[in-house]
Amino acid sequence: MRGIALIAAVATTATPALASDYPERTVEIIHQYGPGGGTDRFIRAISEPMQEATGQSFVPISITGGGGVPAFVTFMQRPANGYTLVSLSPDDVINHALGRIDLSNVQPLVRIQYDQGLLLVSKDSDIRSLDDVLAAEAEEPGGLKVGVTGSAGFDDALIGLFNEEAGIELGTVPFGAAEMVSNTLGGHLDMMYEEYGPTRGLIESGDLIPIVLFSDERLEELPNVPTAAELGYDVTLGRWRGFGIRPSTDAAQIDTLVSLFKDAAADEGYKKVEADSALQYRSEFMGPDAFKTFLDKEVETYSTIMNQLGY
Amino acid sequence: MLDAFVSAAGYMVGNPMSFLLILFSVIWGIVFGAVPGLTGIVGVALLIPFTFAFDPTEGMLLLGGVYVGSTFGGSIAAILFNTPGSPEAACTSLDGYPMAKRGEAGKALGIALAASAVGGIFGTLVLMFAAPPLARLALEFGPAEYFALAVLGITAIASIGGGSLVKGLIAGLLGLAVALIGLDPLTGTARFTFGNMMLLTGVSFIAAIIGIFALAEVLQRFADGPPKGEQMTQVSTQLPSFAEFMATKATLLRSSVIGTIIGALPGVGATTAAFISYSEAFRWSKKPELFGKGSPEGIAAPESGNNSAVGGSMIPLLALGIPGSATTAVMIGGLTIHGIVPGPMLMQNNSDLVYSVFIGMLLANILMLVFGLRAARLFAVVLRAPYQLVGPAIVVLCMTGVFALNNNVSDVAVMLVFGGVGFFLKSYGLPVASFIIGLVLGPIAEVSLRQGLILADHDIMTLVSRPITGTLLILSAVSLAYGIWGQIRRKPPSDGTPDAQPETS
Repeated sequence: MRGIALIAAVATTATPALASDYPERTVEIIHQYGPGGGTDRFIRAISEPMQEATGQSFVPISITGGGGVPAFVTFMQRPANGYTLVSLSPDDVINHALGRIDLSNVQPLVRIQYDQGLLLVSKDSDIRSLDDVLAAEAEEPGGLKVGVTGSAGFDDALIGLFNEEAGIELGTVPFGAAEMVSNTLGGHLDMMYEEYGPTRGLIESGDLIPIVLFSDERLEELPNVPTAAELGYDVTLGRWRGFGIRPSTDAAQIDTLVSLFKDAAADEGYKKVEADSALQYRSEFMGPDAFKTFLDKEVETYSTIMNQLGY
Repeated sequence: MLDAFVSAAGYMVGNPMSFLLILFSVIWGIVFGAVPGLTGIVGVALLIPFTFAFDPTEGMLLLGGVYVGSTFGGSIAAILFNTPGSPEAACTSLDGYPMAKRGEAGKALGIALAASAVGGIFGTLVLMFAAPPLARLALEFGPAEYFALAVLGITAIASIGGGSLVKGLIAGLLGLAVALIGLDPLTGTARFTFGNMMLLTGVSFIAAIIGIFALAEVLQRFADGPPKGEQMTQVSTQLPSFAEFMATKATLLRSSVIGTIIGALPGVGATTAAFISYSEAFRWSKKPELFGKGSPEGIAAPESGNNSAVGGSMIPLLALGIPGSATTAVMIGGLTIHGIVPGPMLMQNNSDLVYSVFIGMLLANILMLVFGLRAARLFAVVLRAPYQLVGPAIVVLCMTGVFALNNNVSDVAVMLVFGGVGFFLKSYGLPVASFIIGLVLGPIAEVSLRQGLILADHDIMTLVSRPITGTLLILSAVSLAYGIWGQIRRKPPSDGTPDAQPETS
């Protein structure tokens, strides 16, 4: 076992492209979400094995508010020395599509997670399936209200796209993540949109009932919840999480980071964290080139959607 | 329930480490609360990585203790330096500082500490015995109810502010106006940002509060020139007598109930609880004329209110898995990292953890009573140092603290600007409390009104005819009328006598 590790270590140091003395201090990862939220926890989980490998810390820096723009602006003000990364998600793509930030200022590094969202109702709701939603909308278009987090962000785009596909007019009401859940449970909202991870406890207790999943395939955890696609509505967009860095960063440092992230994403401990939130199904590791191609396509997709939604 | 309780108590007795952790976390919390800008949220967030080293129960005891300690800690700096260490203590400085200025710093700190412990223990007991039903009650509060609650708080502008109704309204409306800056919370449109990207976040009310109180106070002191043998050099640490404390018992009870309920509502926290407790104490007080001049009730109300909100905000966290405040949102992250699924099943699946947290929070409140006083005396020693040293130190602490809050340099700029704003408000006799109430409650009122209107298809009658909403709005109207009438009634005699009663004679 030790022999293999030694060979692996030699192989790693022998690769000429890697920066051997990097990182030699803490690397900061700026993100726009609250401490303790999904992205913050993702960064803590993925940095655990990286810390073990390098002996250096990778810490999440949370700069909330302003639709994510202040976080991005802060990232742009930091030097391109390889010690500041930025988290990337569909929210950044939407900000780019709306002209608030310029993603050409960031070099895509790796994409790691790809989540899938659900429409959920309270256990006291009359709505039990997507058919009920369609029937209610046919009777009174725009009568149903969906709770979402963030304004003019990813959630709005997804519900907007679903409205287009299904020919309905679900209204969205932005809430904080906690208030969205309490308002759904209390019957003030008809439905809410959220990923599996944060709602798992309430789904398992039966307080929240998922009625449709936006993904390519059903989740093993929720075998009875149909996907929108199998019901005939091609909406499979999900929230993904990756990282970017300043384009002028030293190429050797970028290579080191990519290989560190790649090993970390395959780490046992990290895999368990992923599985706790049912994130293992669509999360496929992407390096800089694949991520860049993916990102360009996302920009196109969200530009069209936001255009259609009238933003 | 008793079984779970005994089993949790057994766990703690068999695990002396947990007592040590509670002790450490309370002290850590008091320090983070007392240093301006370093709030409980920062204190909890910084400790999250350390909880990896412990089992989940120990981790939660650690975070719970910090939460309890920091909520009291904020009042120390608020009373001694007119510099609320954390936003929920802003209200405490309104009466705490005038009392300390009279040379009764010890009495003010004693009242704050005892009120904190009473509120904290009340909140924890409610959490222990009534979490599920109260969590259900909190679910009854939709946007319409939040709006009415915020309106009730805002009507206090008409009552507090001491002298003039007009000045109160000017300051309150200024606060509401400042609250509009930033990204529109519903449509995502930029408002009053003048093209500045960093202003999209809006004016962080924590940065603003610290600027208005702390920085403005430092400016004021330096503008006044060297003190002419001011009374603050004699820091009496004499505690309030039991009788003095018992005189505030009605206030304590009322504020604890208000704090627990407001704490249980997701999205509104200890700061709102403190302000509403304060204004209700003022409304019901037999001696409202003492408010703002060092009234014991004016210290007891916000401190019992904000500390009971700690237990209150744990109610939706433990009963439903949704956070009742920003600090508990960070705690949820901590739980999830340990592989615990927060949700309604938590109390059944992890009853040892939940009941240990209950016991831990009770212990934390008792420890706070013991160590809070020592901490307060320690801080009070700083008052003996020349203000030429203390003042700049406060400014430095405020700047680093505000930056640490959100890692955002523009928050520091906001704090500096609001130092000027606070100085301006004071020099024109505009009540700072009204300004802060507008700034803190304005966004809650705006967002929830608009959310409520969308949900009600823009029919205002559907909105206001909901039972809780209607009741709260009628209460607001009554209290507004009462406040205005009170001010008119008080006017004539005060014209004859000099307006400024000698505060320290």
